[in-house]
Amino acid sequence: MSQAEAAFGAGGKKSPAPILKVDSVSKRFGSLVAVRDVSLAVDRGELRAIIGPNGAGKTTFFNLLSGFFPPTSGRIAFEGRDVTTISAHRRVRLGMARTFQITEIFPELSVQDNLRIGAEIAAGYALRAWINRAERTAVQRRVDELLDLAGLAAKAKRLVGELAHGDQRVVEIATALTLQPRLLLLDEPTAGMGDQETYAMTKLIRQLHRRGDLAIILIEHDMRVVFHLADMVSVLDQGKLLAEGAPAAIAANAAVQAAYLGEAA
Amino acid sequence: MSAGAAKLIALTAVWALLAAAPFWAPLVGGYTALGARVLVLALAAMSVNFLLGFAGVLSFGHAAYFGLGAYGAGFALKFLAPSTPLSLLCGTLLGGIAGALLGLLIVRRRGVYFAMVTIAFGQVLYYIAFQWSSLTGGDDGLRGFARQPLDLGFAKIDILGDETAFYYFVLLCFALVVAVMGFILRSPFGRAMIAIRENERRARFLGLAVERHIWIAFTLSCFFAGFAGALYALVNNFADPRGLHYSQSGDFVMMAVMGGMRNFWGPLLGAAVFVVVQDYLSSVTVNWMSFIGLLFVLVVLFFPRGLLGFIRRRAPA
Amino acid sequence: MTQLLLFNVTNGLIIGAFYVLMALGLSLILNLSNVINFAHGGFLVIGGYIAYSVTPYVGFWGALLVAPPLTALIGFVVERILIRPLYGRDPLYGLLLTFGLAFMIEDGTRFIWGAQGKPVSVPAVLAHPLSAQFFFLTGYRLFMVAAALAVVALLFALLRYTKLGVRIRAGTLDLETVSALGVNVQALRSLNFAAGVFLAGLSGVLAAGQLGLEPTMGTGLLMPSFVAIIVGGVGSLTGTLIGGLLIGVASGLTAVFLPAASEAVIYVLMALILLLRPRGLFGEEGMMT
Repeated sequence: MSQAEAAFGAGGKKSPAPILKVDSVSKRFGSLVAVRDVSLAVDRGELRAIIGPNGAGKTTFFNLLSGFFPPTSGRIAFEGRDVTTISAHRRVRLGMARTFQITEIFPELSVQDNLRIGAEIAAGYALRAWINRAERTAVQRRVDELLDLAGLAAKAKRLVGELAHGDQRVVEIATALTLQPRLLLLDEPTAGMGDQETYAMTKLIRQLHRRGDLAIILIEHDMRVVFHLADMVSVLDQGKLLAEGAPAAIAANAAVQAAYLGEAA
Repeated sequence: MSAGAAKLIALTAVWALLAAAPFWAPLVGGYTALGARVLVLALAAMSVNFLLGFAGVLSFGHAAYFGLGAYGAGFALKFLAPSTPLSLLCGTLLGGIAGALLGLLIVRRRGVYFAMVTIAFGQVLYYIAFQWSSLTGGDDGLRGFARQPLDLGFAKIDILGDETAFYYFVLLCFALVVAVMGFILRSPFGRAMIAIRENERRARFLGLAVERHIWIAFTLSCFFAGFAGALYALVNNFADPRGLHYSQSGDFVMMAVMGGMRNFWGPLLGAAVFVVVQDYLSSVTVNWMSFIGLLFVLVVLFFPRGLLGFIRRRAPA
Repeated sequence: MTQLLLFNVTNGLIIGAFYVLMALGLSLILNLSNVINFAHGGFLVIGGYIAYSVTPYVGFWGALLVAPPLTALIGFVVERILIRPLYGRDPLYGLLLTFGLAFMIEDGTRFIWGAQGKPVSVPAVLAHPLSAQFFFLTGYRLFMVAAALAVVALLFALLRYTKLGVRIRAGTLDLETVSALGVNVQALRSLNFAAGVFLAGLSGVLAAGQLGLEPTMGTGLLMPSFVAIIVGGVGSLTGTLIGGLLIGVASGLTAVFLPAASEAVIYVLMALILLLRPRGLFGEEGMMT
């Protein structure tokens, strides 16, 4: 546990065991060290923001968490289980879902089918050539639930590739939720969005967060979003964890201002 | 007219045309045996397209499993028992099992690399068929077998002597396999294949074991190709190594692309056009290879979505 | 026995040198254009036949100088007209197009030069064995290996020390970044394609002197070149070099003990490599997948 976290506590939550525990992970690409000795613990139901200037290693860090590639050193534990070397799709099955900085969806399928594929994989039907009526109904119910939650019901039959950028981002999040994850990693959910879309996205994320059990880690550049949503903020700079704490404390942190806020201003 | 109704009409038309082929084909200068060849090659092209069009995975070595299917059927008729169904079963198994085993090595790669490895492994099987002449007849091919009359218990159908009866037998086989393919593609398994085609990364991060899924799809498609190959041996009463060669694979891929690879029925149209054009060209010019080559180039440059894709774009439903 | 072994190892090295020339050209094109050039064997044939046609006027040495650049020029034009429209599209299309092109070249060669094989004579100075004991070491064979190695060395030097070469290598790793740095990627791809075809043309001239000419000869050399690339690892030119030599020698050695398998052995080797190192000997994480 980092000193910063010991100092600031975990945003008032009291669960003893963190849902995600990252133990001094590093990632090298040849001579470049993209992530350097980062440790982190996120509690059940916590909303954690990761901020930092461009090239700070935020996405690389996400890729390590989600199993895109293995870390060069260090360990990652999810719900007490060591997942450091576990493949990406198996981490997802364990309950860690993610979205990407560049929206990853099934563009030539309808919103509904995007969600249906997710729901079927989550239900373990991916290898089956046949599902019975009850199973089909259950999948459809899950899809409808998510369409309502994400406010996409009216667009269910539209092709995702034809939707507006903001809606595509929402579809991606809804698709990730088909898995009923307990940890959701959002890579710049508001990237490329206008004010109105950003507002809607912020609202959606807060709504997900308030449902309780879901821990969310988000990478975000828009400070309004970060300070509005986050329980805790971690700052990465040049691959290292620069600071960690409640939003207000981070905003006041001189080192952070020098490294990051200064650059943004 | 709704899209559903239009689809139904098109589908009925396709089957009606196929069922009536022995009657109309001679009128336009065709012959029944040509119809059987079209169906069989279409089946092979559809098996390639099962992967290419729906999982987005390009196998450029499917002729190997097709060719093995042909040998499997030939061996069964020649050495095991004079039974047509048994020969189909043996051919399908030989092609499918070979595909399953080699697939284990192949599916770890993606994109161009996948295509390259499938070509190379296809050539391994080609060389084996070519070199092992004591078993396969080598360059001369495997001869000395013939499809057998079907014994239904209450009646015998002479599919060897009666071309029309044989055509309907091939059509029945075609319909069965196509139904299986369509069924799989409409299932959760098929939707997960499409998910891989649409966005492999998203599919993986929805928890799909992508490699395993592709391996199973690859294996299934090799079984289909093996079945098509077995039927092909019955069409010709002959099997030869050229059936395994990568240029044959290229023809299959071309049929799928020319017909329209995003469309389930595209390869059927592609196969029909390809077989007829090739048949015609080789009867009028010795330089037919140049024209087939030119056809490849023109389709790639000007009709990349194939005939059905082209029609569909012109007249959006 | 020793002599037989030596004979076949030498043979393997010579064949390997060939594979390397072919495979390096294929590899260059694959790396930068993302096209598996099925017509590469066709370009080899074109190189050989051009050499055959110009030899009466300029002699063997002249043909060796003239034919590869002419082949490269054809390749350059092909890239401009046929390959360029395919960039950014599914690699399937490049594959199919060059596949058709290979048909056209093979048939066109037959049309122009006839289906009969053509013998190509090599200069008298290279035609004789070096000694009676090592009868298989004709001057021409040594010359072929030497020429191949020299060209490979030159290619690697160009890639390492010239601006163009550095750009080509960088483009292999990350074409987008290279483009963002203001390099004209289109021109880079054209030159690179021509360079790849140059190597095919050169292989054609060298092969003509050893094997004679036939319209179908390219096809036979194409597949082993694929295998050389897969064994060496896609994206690595060093890998292609080692891969080509490796399968050449392996097939030469197998010819001693089990002649029937001398062609199959390279595929067995490939299967083994894929099993143990799925990315090939020199393939690395993050390169083309």
